[in-house]
Amino acid sequence: MSENDVLVSIKNLGVSFYSEDGIAKAVQDVSFSISKGKTFALVGESGCGKSVTALSIMKLIPFPPGEIVSGSIYFKDKNLLELSPKRMRTIRGNKIAMIFQEPMTSLNPVYSIGDQIAEAIMLHQHKTDEQAWADSVGVLKQVGISDPERRVYEYPHQLSGGMRQRVMIAMAISCRPELLIADEPTTALDVTIQMQILDLLDELQEQNDMSILLITHDLGIVAERAHKVAVMYASRIVEIAGCRALFDEALHPYTQGLLKSLPRLGVNKKRLDTIPGSVPEPLHFPEGCKFHPRCPLGNKDNRCRSVEPDLREVKPGRFAACWRVQGYQTEKERLEYGTKFGK
Amino acid sequence: MVNLKKKNQQLGLSYGELVWREFKKSRVNIIFLIFIIFLFCLAVFAPFLANDKPFVIRIDGQLRFPIFKSLTVSNYSVFLAAAAGLIQLLLIYRNRKRIDPSIRGAVLFRQIVVIATIVAAGIILLFIFFPRRLDATDYKSMLASGGATDAVFAPIPYGYARTDLEVREEPPSRRHWLGTDDVGADVLCRLIHGSRISLSVGFVAVGISSIIGVFIGSVLGYFGGKVDFIGMRFVEIMMAIPSFFLIITIVAFFPRSLFNIMIIIGITSWTQNARFIRAEFLKLRNQDFVQAALSLGLPLRSILFRHMLPNAIAPVLVNATFGIAGAIFIEAALSFLGFGVAPPTPSWGQMLSLGVSTTGRFLWWLTVFPGLAIFLIVLAYNLVGEGLRDALDPRLRRAV
Repeated sequence: MSENDVLVSIKNLGVSFYSEDGIAKAVQDVSFSISKGKTFALVGESGCGKSVTALSIMKLIPFPPGEIVSGSIYFKDKNLLELSPKRMRTIRGNKIAMIFQEPMTSLNPVYSIGDQIAEAIMLHQHKTDEQAWADSVGVLKQVGISDPERRVYEYPHQLSGGMRQRVMIAMAISCRPELLIADEPTTALDVTIQMQILDLLDELQEQNDMSILLITHDLGIVAERAHKVAVMYASRIVEIAGCRALFDEALHPYTQGLLKSLPRLGVNKKRLDTIPGSVPEPLHFPEGCKFHPRCPLGNKDNRCRSVEPDLREVKPGRFAACWRVQGYQTEKERLEYGTKFGK
Repeated sequence: MVNLKKKNQQLGLSYGELVWREFKKSRVNIIFLIFIIFLFCLAVFAPFLANDKPFVIRIDGQLRFPIFKSLTVSNYSVFLAAAAGLIQLLLIYRNRKRIDPSIRGAVLFRQIVVIATIVAAGIILLFIFFPRRLDATDYKSMLASGGATDAVFAPIPYGYARTDLEVREEPPSRRHWLGTDDVGADVLCRLIHGSRISLSVGFVAVGISSIIGVFIGSVLGYFGGKVDFIGMRFVEIMMAIPSFFLIITIVAFFPRSLFNIMIIIGITSWTQNARFIRAEFLKLRNQDFVQAALSLGLPLRSILFRHMLPNAIAPVLVNATFGIAGAIFIEAALSFLGFGVAPPTPSWGQMLSLGVSTTGRFLWWLTVFPGLAIFLIVLAYNLVGEGLRDALDPRLRRAV
C-alpha cells in the first residue's frame, strides 16, 4: 500500500466530553488510515467511541460539551482539524458524507425527499433548481428506488424504513463523495433489508470508487464487506487487521472474546460464550489496560493493571494493544519489566 | 405539464395541507375564521361602508365621485396591500395547478418577493406623489338646499370625525343604528373604522414580537451552553417586568401614535415566543435530521431557519393568535385610559371610555357595542388559536 492510496489518515485522535462529574475521554489515541476505494470497518460495543470518531472526521462533535483535544485528521493533504468552519462546510456532504443509524428520523418531515436531496446538490455543485431535481431523480434511481420520478415528490412519512435509508444514502452520495461514513447503517432495519442496503453500498462503492468507513457492532457485516477492521474498546483501538486475518486469528483477548461469542453454523451449543463483566464507563476507566478487569488471560500481571498498552505493529499488517500478545513488547521493555516487577 | 394533475395526486399532502385538513374539521374554527375574514373585509372597505361623502352626486348637471377623491393615501395603501394579499392567495392556488412541484417552493418565493416589492414601492410612491387634498364640502346640505341631486351615499352616511352637537349622546335610532357619542359622531361608523386600528395593532405588534422571539429563541436554543444561560436570564428579566405598566410609562413619554403603540406592544411581548422556540430548538438540535443536514454541509442559516424552524413554529403560530387577541386588548385598555390613539381617530377602547359621559349619564350603547366588538374579536382569535393548536398537535392527528 503506497502513500498515495491513503484517503484519510487519523493520528492520535483524542476527544473529550466535559461534564459536571468530570472529563469523559470518549476517544483516546486513535490512529488509523482508510485507503481509496476500500471499506474500513470500525467495530465495538455501544459507547466505545465509534460514533464519536466518525463525528470527529466530520467535525460535528457538539461543542460544548465535546471537544477534539488532540491529534490530526488528514483528508488527502488537508488537516481537517485546522480548516475553518466555512472551508469545512465545502467538504461536508461534498467530499465526505455520512449516513445515520436511524432512517426514521434522519429525514426532515416537512420537506419532500427531492427537496432535501436537491438542496445539497444546489449548494455544493451550484446547479439550478431544475438540474438539481433531475439529479435527485438520478441518484434515487441509483440507490434502487423504484419509480424515482414519482418518489422524488413524496414526503418521508410516505416511505418505509428501508426506503428512507436508501433516500439517506442517495442524499449522501448525491455529490459523489470520496468518503462515505456509514454509522450503523443497518441497525434499525430488518435482516433482509440489511442485506440489500449493504449490497447497495458495495455496488455504489464500486461505481463511484469511494471509500467507506463502516461503523457497526455486527461482526457478521464486517466479515462480508470490510477490507480492513479496527476493533475499539473503551475509547481505544485495541486491534487493527485485514478482515480475513482477523477472523482467522484474533490477537487481542477482547477480539477473541467477541469472535467466540458469535453463533457459528455447525457448532451445537446450548449457550453462547460471553465476555464477563461490562464495558467501563468513560468517567471511571480502570487503570492500566482498560480490558484487564474482564480479560480471560487473567489480570494477575502487574503490568496490565498499571500501564496502558498503546497500539503497535506486532506482525506485518497486524496491530494490537495488549502486553500479552506475542511480539508486542520490545526487548528493552521485557528487560525492564523483568527487573521492575520481579517476575 | 401534462401529467401535473397526476403528480399532485401522487404528491401526497404537505405539512400545511395536513394542518388545514385537521383545522377545518371543527365547525367552530371555520365560523370564527370566517368572522375574522369578515372583519378584515370590513376594515379594508371601511371608507366605502361608512362615509359622509357620496359615491355619486350630480352637481350643476355634472356627475361627480367625491368618495374616491376623499380617500387618503393610507386608504389606498390598505387597498394595495389587500389586493396584493388576494393576488398572492390566487397565485398559490394557481401554482398548484400550473407549476411543477419541484420548483414550486422557489416560484412561490419569487412571487412573494416580487409582490412585496411592488406593494412597498407602490406605497412609497403613493406617499410621495399623492396630492394632499381636503374635501370640506358638505354634500348633504347641498343636497338639502337643492344645489345637487341624484346622490348615492354609503350605507352609513356619516364620517367618523363628524361632530354634530345637535344629535350628541343619542341612543340607537333609525338614523343612528347604534347611537351617537359625545360629539355626535355615529357609533356604528366609528366601530367600523375602529376595526382598522384593532386589526392592524394585533397584526403588526404580533409580527414584531414573533420575529424578535423567533430570532432570539432559535439562537439561544441552537447554541445552548453559556449563550443560552445568559440569554435566558435576560429573557427572564424581561418577563419579570409588568409589561402593561411599562407600556403605560413608555406611552406617556412618546407622542400618541398608533405606530408607537404597535412597536411598544411588539417589543414587550416577545419573551414567550423566545421561550417556546428555544425549547423546541433544544429538542430538535439533537434530532437526526438536523445532524444529517449538518453532515451535508448546509450553512447555519439554512439549518436554523429552513430545517429547524418549520418543525418548531407550531407553538409560535398558536401563540401568535392569542397574542393578536392580547394586543387588541392592550390597545383597547390603553385607549380606554386615554393613552391610545388621539381622537378623532376611532378606537374601540377609546369609545368604551366614553360610556360614562361628562354629565354623569351612563350611555349604554357606548359601552355595549364597542365592548361586544372587543369581546367577539378576542374570542374569535382565541378560538381560532385553539383550533390551530389542536390541528398542529401531531398526537391528535391520525396517521396518514
